[in-house]
Amino acid sequence: MAAAFRTVEPLEYYRRFLKENCRPDGRELGEFRATTVNIGSITTADGSALVKLGNTTVICGVKAELAAPAADSTNKGYIVPNVELPSLCSERFRSGPPGEEAQAASQFIADVIENSQMIVKEDLCIANGKLAWVLYCDIICLDYDGNLLDASVFALLAALKNVQLPSVIINEETGLSEVNLKQKSPLTIRKHPVATSFAIFDDALLIVDPTAEEEDLATGTVTIVTDEEGRLCSVHKPGGSPLTGAKLQDCITRAITRHKEVKKLIDKVIKSIMSK
Amino acid sequence: MPLDHRRLCGPEESQPPSLWAALAAEDEDEEGAGAAPRDPCSLRPLFARAGLLSQAQGSAYVELGSGTKVLCAAWGPREAAEPGPGRLLCEFRRAPFAGRGARGRPGGLAEREAEREAAAALREALEPAVRLGRYPRARLAVSALLLQDGGSALAAAVSAAALALADAGVEMYDLAVGCALCRPPAATAAAWMLQPAEPEERRAAARLTLALLPALNQVSAVLGGGQGGPPEDWAQALRLGLDGCHRQYPVLRQSLLRAAQRRDAAAAATAAAASVA
Repeated sequence: MAAAFRTVEPLEYYRRFLKENCRPDGRELGEFRATTVNIGSITTADGSALVKLGNTTVICGVKAELAAPAADSTNKGYIVPNVELPSLCSERFRSGPPGEEAQAASQFIADVIENSQMIVKEDLCIANGKLAWVLYCDIICLDYDGNLLDASVFALLAALKNVQLPSVIINEETGLSEVNLKQKSPLTIRKHPVATSFAIFDDALLIVDPTAEEEDLATGTVTIVTDEEGRLCSVHKPGGSPLTGAKLQDCITRAITRHKEVKKLIDKVIKSIMSK
Repeated sequence: MPLDHRRLCGPEESQPPSLWAALAAEDEDEEGAGAAPRDPCSLRPLFARAGLLSQAQGSAYVELGSGTKVLCAAWGPREAAEPGPGRLLCEFRRAPFAGRGARGRPGGLAEREAEREAAAALREALEPAVRLGRYPRARLAVSALLLQDGGSALAAAVSAAALALADAGVEMYDLAVGCALCRPPAATAAAWMLQPAEPEERRAAARLTLALLPALNQVSAVLGGGQGGPPEDWAQALRLGLDGCHRQYPVLRQSLLRAAQRRDAAAAATAAAASVA
């Protein structure tokens, strides 16, 4: 009976739950789904991480290559994020070149990296004007059940923390670069941005970590990115219903709490790998 | 290279650091080759799990001991525009970080060609196993994603795709099991090896991928090429491959059974919860 009602009138079904301040899967309005992270599973990549946020599964693989820096910024390397939504993650995506949502997500990740100064591009330069690192960060969604942006940012952060770059020295006499694959050093990650997404229902209610069903029924979404000092890196609100200043402030507070939880999880995983 | 407007592009050209470390790496490779010639008939450990994605009707994940990881999703019959018998649509994608060397550019021509070829091979291997006659005017979709290439990627993809279709509840005659073989260059002992790892596959003089329906003992696809030697050698390689497929079959069946048990347990739990509430 409930299942039939859910199919015919999903919005009403949801409203009944929201009135009691909870959601159909049993969560509170401000509760996240179970988050798990697995680091270093893809050995062909220089760094990798698999993040599961409830059913949403995202894998990020980082490959480091060498290239000449651009002519107008000779002391900067490159970071190239790309989000892919293959047809296997959900029926709504077709196979072929990246669609709108994938392109928007890629641009969002690029903005987060730039705004939070997570990796300073000058750190990636090896020899001014001659050689610099290019970090290709490919984020692939394996299972799409809402809240792609949170999972992607988390996966990117975990994968970057896991990257080991071989040492490169430029031989002074010959001008050629020598790579030592045995000597590896981790990346310097200056800031740790964490994203928190909210869905807006009926212009009034905010729920955290929406599933795909909730995202479809919502009237708007907001994503807040904070770093470890409690500072705001970016606010992403692509249209949707308007939000008052007070509600936005609530979102930011919740995002700061979420950041602490996520940071603890990442630290625990990294420590368990280092101790081996 | 034409600009790909849909993806964020980095510099026009970039090289993997292993190019400059070539000397050191070659020494390592030679050591690896001479160190322990492995038993050519040994199968590496295989891990298979069905029913792990929530959004697809059927899904499977296969991991080989050499590091190959393939994830596959399948969708049951959907309305197709054209009349006629049911069609099986296959797709094969390689993650950009799957290869050991340079990162594959996702939109590039070479990548798309390779993916199309692999998708055609997948369809060839799976079509005999699926009862397409039961789904007139419908299309079944299978999508495989290669997360890490450690050798024998296509063979693992065939097994994963068959598992995913079975998990989706599509009627099939049998599971298609894939197995790959390769023959090292003529200098060393030129015997065919089962399930090569990535360095062995790279250096091979001839490669072969087989797909078998073990319960019916029928071969559904043979794909291979190279300098394999006289025809008797190829026949011997086929026999070795068929044996390898038979040995992998129990593992795949077990994973399907476990997935069905998990699904039953989950359904029972929700039914109990619903009746209590």
